[in-house]
Amino acid sequence: MTARAATPVSRREALVRSGLGLGWLGAASLLADEGRSNVPATLAPRPPHFTPRARAVIHLFANGGPSHVDTFDRKVALDAYAGREIPVSLKTERRTGTAMPSPFAFRRHGESGLEVSELFPALARHADRLCVVRSMHADVPNHEPSLMLMNCGDPRLVRPSAGAWVTYGLGTENQNLPGFVAMCPGGYPIKATENWRSAFLPGAFQGTYVDTRKRRVEDLVQHVNHPVLDRETQRRQFGLIAGLDRRHLADRGPDPLLEARLASLELAWRMQAEAADAFDVSREPQHVLERYGDDVQGRQMLIARRLVERGVRYVQVWHGEGQPWDSHEDIAKNHRKLARESDRAIGALLDDLVGLGLLETTLVLWGGEFGRTPTVELPSDAGVKAPTGRDHNHYGFSVWLAGGGIKPGHVHGATDEFGFRAVENRMHVHDLQATMLHLLGLDHERLTYRHSGRDFRLTDVHGRVVSEIVA
Amino acid sequence: MFPLALLPDRLGCKASRRRLLILLALTLGPQAVRGAGADDFFESRVRPLLVARCQECHGAKVSEAGLRLDSRRGVLAGGRSGPAAIAGDIDRSRLIEAVRRVGELPMPPDDPLDPADVAVLKRWVADGLAWSGPGSEGQEGPAPSPVADPDMRLAEALATHWSFRPPQRHQPPALPASFPEDIRRAWSASPVDRFVAAGIAAAGLTPAPAAPPEHLIRRLSFDLTGLPPAAADVDAFAADPSDAAYASLVDRLLASREHAEHWARTWLDLARYADTMGYAFDGQTSLYPFAWTYRDWVIGALHKDLPYDRFVILQIAADLVTPPVPRADLAALGFLTVGRTFMGNEHDVFDDRIDLVTRGLMGLTVACARCHDHKYEPVGMADYYALHGIFASCEIPEQLPVIGPPPPGPEADTFAATMAGLEQREAEYGRTIHERATREAIQHAADYLLETCRPLPRPDGRPPQLADGYEIEQLLVDRLVRKLEGAGPDHPVLGLWVAVRGQSDEAFPTAVAAVTTAWQAAGEAAVNAALRAEVRAAHPAAPRPLAETFARVIARAHAAAGTAEDDAHLAAVRETFTLPGAPLVVLPGEVARVARREEEVELRKRRRDIAALQAKASGGPLRAMVLRDVEQPHDSPIFLRGQSDRIGEVVPRRLPRLLGGEAVDRRSSGRLELARGIASPANPLTARLIVNWAWTHHFGRGLVATPGDLGLRGDPPSHPELLDDLARRFVEDGRWSLRWLHREIVTSHAWRQASRIRCEGHAVDPENRLVARANRRRLDWEAWRDSLCAAAGTLDLARGGGPGIDPVATERIDVRSLYAQLDRQDVPGIMRSFDIANPDAAVHARVRTIVPPQSLASLNAPLVVEAARRLADRAAAAAGGDGDEAFVRSVWRAALSRTPSADEAALAMVWLADERRGESAADAAADGRHFGPRERLAQAVLATAEFEFLD
Repeated sequence: MTARAATPVSRREALVRSGLGLGWLGAASLLADEGRSNVPATLAPRPPHFTPRARAVIHLFANGGPSHVDTFDRKVALDAYAGREIPVSLKTERRTGTAMPSPFAFRRHGESGLEVSELFPALARHADRLCVVRSMHADVPNHEPSLMLMNCGDPRLVRPSAGAWVTYGLGTENQNLPGFVAMCPGGYPIKATENWRSAFLPGAFQGTYVDTRKRRVEDLVQHVNHPVLDRETQRRQFGLIAGLDRRHLADRGPDPLLEARLASLELAWRMQAEAADAFDVSREPQHVLERYGDDVQGRQMLIARRLVERGVRYVQVWHGEGQPWDSHEDIAKNHRKLARESDRAIGALLDDLVGLGLLETTLVLWGGEFGRTPTVELPSDAGVKAPTGRDHNHYGFSVWLAGGGIKPGHVHGATDEFGFRAVENRMHVHDLQATMLHLLGLDHERLTYRHSGRDFRLTDVHGRVVSEIVA
Repeated sequence: MFPLALLPDRLGCKASRRRLLILLALTLGPQAVRGAGADDFFESRVRPLLVARCQECHGAKVSEAGLRLDSRRGVLAGGRSGPAAIAGDIDRSRLIEAVRRVGELPMPPDDPLDPADVAVLKRWVADGLAWSGPGSEGQEGPAPSPVADPDMRLAEALATHWSFRPPQRHQPPALPASFPEDIRRAWSASPVDRFVAAGIAAAGLTPAPAAPPEHLIRRLSFDLTGLPPAAADVDAFAADPSDAAYASLVDRLLASREHAEHWARTWLDLARYADTMGYAFDGQTSLYPFAWTYRDWVIGALHKDLPYDRFVILQIAADLVTPPVPRADLAALGFLTVGRTFMGNEHDVFDDRIDLVTRGLMGLTVACARCHDHKYEPVGMADYYALHGIFASCEIPEQLPVIGPPPPGPEADTFAATMAGLEQREAEYGRTIHERATREAIQHAADYLLETCRPLPRPDGRPPQLADGYEIEQLLVDRLVRKLEGAGPDHPVLGLWVAVRGQSDEAFPTAVAAVTTAWQAAGEAAVNAALRAEVRAAHPAAPRPLAETFARVIARAHAAAGTAEDDAHLAAVRETFTLPGAPLVVLPGEVARVARREEEVELRKRRRDIAALQAKASGGPLRAMVLRDVEQPHDSPIFLRGQSDRIGEVVPRRLPRLLGGEAVDRRSSGRLELARGIASPANPLTARLIVNWAWTHHFGRGLVATPGDLGLRGDPPSHPELLDDLARRFVEDGRWSLRWLHREIVTSHAWRQASRIRCEGHAVDPENRLVARANRRRLDWEAWRDSLCAAAGTLDLARGGGPGIDPVATERIDVRSLYAQLDRQDVPGIMRSFDIANPDAAVHARVRTIVPPQSLASLNAPLVVEAARRLADRAAAAAGGDGDEAFVRSVWRAALSRTPSADEAALAMVWLADERRGESAADAAADGRHFGPRERLAQAVLATAEFEFLD
């Protein structure tokens, strides 16, 4: 026994061999990495550092910065101070004026009595499943760095995204689908592909971008179908390729690389069918489609569910191209429109995750890159004509989480009386990231990658696991 | 549980397994320690292991996870996850679990312990953790040393670390007697072979046989040119695979332009080349219109085999070398400038360049010292900010220099006319801003004078906005202050303000009175009459009234120009304040700095129109993406913790101390000295890095397995003497010629070995560190796509150069992949899945994965489908009326550079016949989208592993 285990085996081979042994060889990818072979460049599932609570993440990104005081962080003081200066003044991107009461009514929901504004009636049905963090804070009041901080853990430098880190750390459970999918209808958000990049991690961990405004499967997933051949004809062609490859392998092998290539080819073939299936929401029954709504948000939430059901590790769902939630002006109208677009689909998604028993192991995160000011934004030459919106606010904002080991029906932290600044149980973006990794069974201090001579991690040298929000 | 060693079984390697067992028994057997006391065992076997493999991270300086393995107490106390070991209990000792790599935390993280070492530790734990000497109970381990003195660390590293000491020449060892005679004969000529042979022999192995000629020429062709060989060349070489034929093949390939193109792409990975600046704010183009002039320069430089030292110097300081280089060589500076622009954060840009020249060219991770002294390398923050000063003393000129005329023709004429119009529009608008800014500055002359009384820097860092909305221009304030400082109290116009501007409000009236009294004593000529009259009339007794008094004189003088009212005194006031060059006048070159928001938008728009026209580059002159020294080069202060608002001590510009720390010429940025310091034979890193880089790409694995890190944390070389000897010979015998280096490597017999995995070698050296065979490799994206184009018969090697093409477009399969326009913000998915280099930092070797998206591309990508169509057409044309057999033969020869075996041909023909049976006449007659049996066969061959891999 000792002798067998002691046979020198390189790490790259270990991957291939265990692949052969365990039947996920197809996932094995071999590498000659930039340094020593210190990283599996494979999407094969890997054990976490400790027992995980969640095995998948759905990150609903309300890009642009949703207003917390209009959604999940009610501030009665704003009504009292309506039209008057508030005693808190913090520098944000643009000039703001007096207190602006929320144009939306709040109501308590569920046994937890969580306060949610009228914007999210469908979501509010799940109040007892949500954990609202009201004390989030970031570093600067600008979209670009805040998006980078939220997604990649650093406001400026080129770092891998959280989804890339997670798939690097855990691999993914369905080898016939990408491990990390980023959906954004209509184009890219601000900072485009940087939001789901793998940076110095191997390209296999990069998020696969899907433009969910499109409907046809072949437009959603690259190279999922042959542009000309039907599946039966292609199956015969595939047989020929595999036949030639086996001859080649018999002549050259045994060779782990060629074996991996053959397996990868077979896997690609299965992937064609599976990906086509996963992204094709038209295969859902009519009543399901109706629950989600036959629109972009409905479709992409439904795809998110289908992906997680099939073992995709990390799914990011962006509200839309650019920065839709950036309501500098006319927040009453804009936020209402945005919430109406997404509320029903989010509610349906949570319904289904519960119904399928997936919520327990799926961490759902909703939020933006920051929140908005409790004070009204003043007209300026930046294009705002009337004082009817709110400016960016990184000093305090809300996100909510559900499932995946999160404490349900819970509120964590608080902003000041007006909702300007997080004051109680402050939770930095790095803390959120550390906690997410923790729920996935990963220690954010141990999930590292050697690059340019040092070990990098998602949370850099920061981050604390906030056990108070863990169930 | 660690996977069992399946491979040797499948290889039928029983013998090797047995030999290994014996080997293990010899190293681990009880006789190894029999008779020795437990303490001896500890001192001779355990302590060296702990020191060498554990204490770097679990010791006095660093104790990861709170764990220290430098004392018995430390082992027992353990770290965050509990005791590291329990005396006598192997099963509950996490240390053993970790080194056996069976638990959650395999250790050491990167490089597993040898089984023999694991056995040593197990025995040590089982026997009760005996510890003698320092670190034993009662004798505390060495006290945690304070952060070691940088000088000491430097001296120690210079003395001990292999890559910081100059490489030496070494006598190549004699060939091992154990090798077969033919190998001994073949391998004796090249020093490379003799060093490699010694390593192979030491492990008890023999080299692999030479690769079959058909494999060798294919490997050589891809290795030197990134392209497949022509089938006819394969046939010829197979017929005469002599050394002479091989040598002439090598010479021919090395001299080809395709060779320069292929290695240029490899270099561009290191240069983190892309055609865009990264993320750009809304609506702004992020395209670098002339990045490709750098790419083309690299190709040209490699094609003429520019010596590597010169190659490096030009890329860092082409504008500074003497004698001056031809203008075309300025394009070399693109090396520094084609990186990301980080949305304008210049410190990130400098950081990118520092990383490029240190890690990129020398394998030294200096960029770590941006925020703190390097944890491992003897590199301090001072070293970093000394380089920061060099790059902070450089700028990219607004107008890139022209390095070549556009190709003449109507396009060039149209370009010239349009450009003239746009430039005039820009100049006109610039004048408008200039006039507005000057007029307003003169109107606010009093405010400017008052600004000179305030201390600098301002608390909030920005100049104030006045009640009327006007924003003071700091630029003008600075100029006025300088003028006042130069003027002195005797200046006829400014003297009064000079004398009183520092006074407090209370002392002010007295101070003014003192000066006016002195005027009387000094006489008429001492003071400007216009000013004196105004002061006397107004009696200003506080700063603002006095400033306004000045302002009235300034306004009057300005208005009087050219009128009858004018006189010499007013002219003197004008000269002091409002003539070009005076403090209140904005210079034409400064308009962008004083433009208001809306003016800036308009000005930018007009400039963008110009840039957009230049960017098209069709019809316009070629330009180089240069960097140049600023007029007043300056040193940078250390930014504490890397934060630019926390300023520390200023560091003179110089080279890193590791490289001698020589100061630079104060009058220049210091780029030239930096370049020379890097490309110097005395630099211990540069030649080693590039030799190892070339080796990495030829063999698929470097002599140093971390080709971008030669420092203390990098892997030590597998063949230190070979690396050093080759580095020295590269510089001395090869005179820095990369072509010499390539030839030296590919003509070695080590490189010409077969790639088949042999069982005995595999058991001893699974990663093939010893180079006892060649490594099989997947083609990179560029070589794969170029092979598709070559098989399609569409590749036109005469094309390429100039602005990049869309590499995924099926219409552009006539151009080689390296001529792609690469958007670092949006790399096409297919290229990513084939692991192209991340263009954000120097990449010395790409990651090479085998993942399903690559196969999906082979099965479904339009590029492959188009290539298959063309290949089928081409093969059908070549076959003429000869039927399927000739067709199949043509496909194989075009795609795989060889004739199919009888077996393969038969398989393909049967397949074709079967397919045709299912094909209806209507299908066969269908339109252009028809993809018939022959097309499908062609695609199948393009999708094979053989097409994608090199033996």
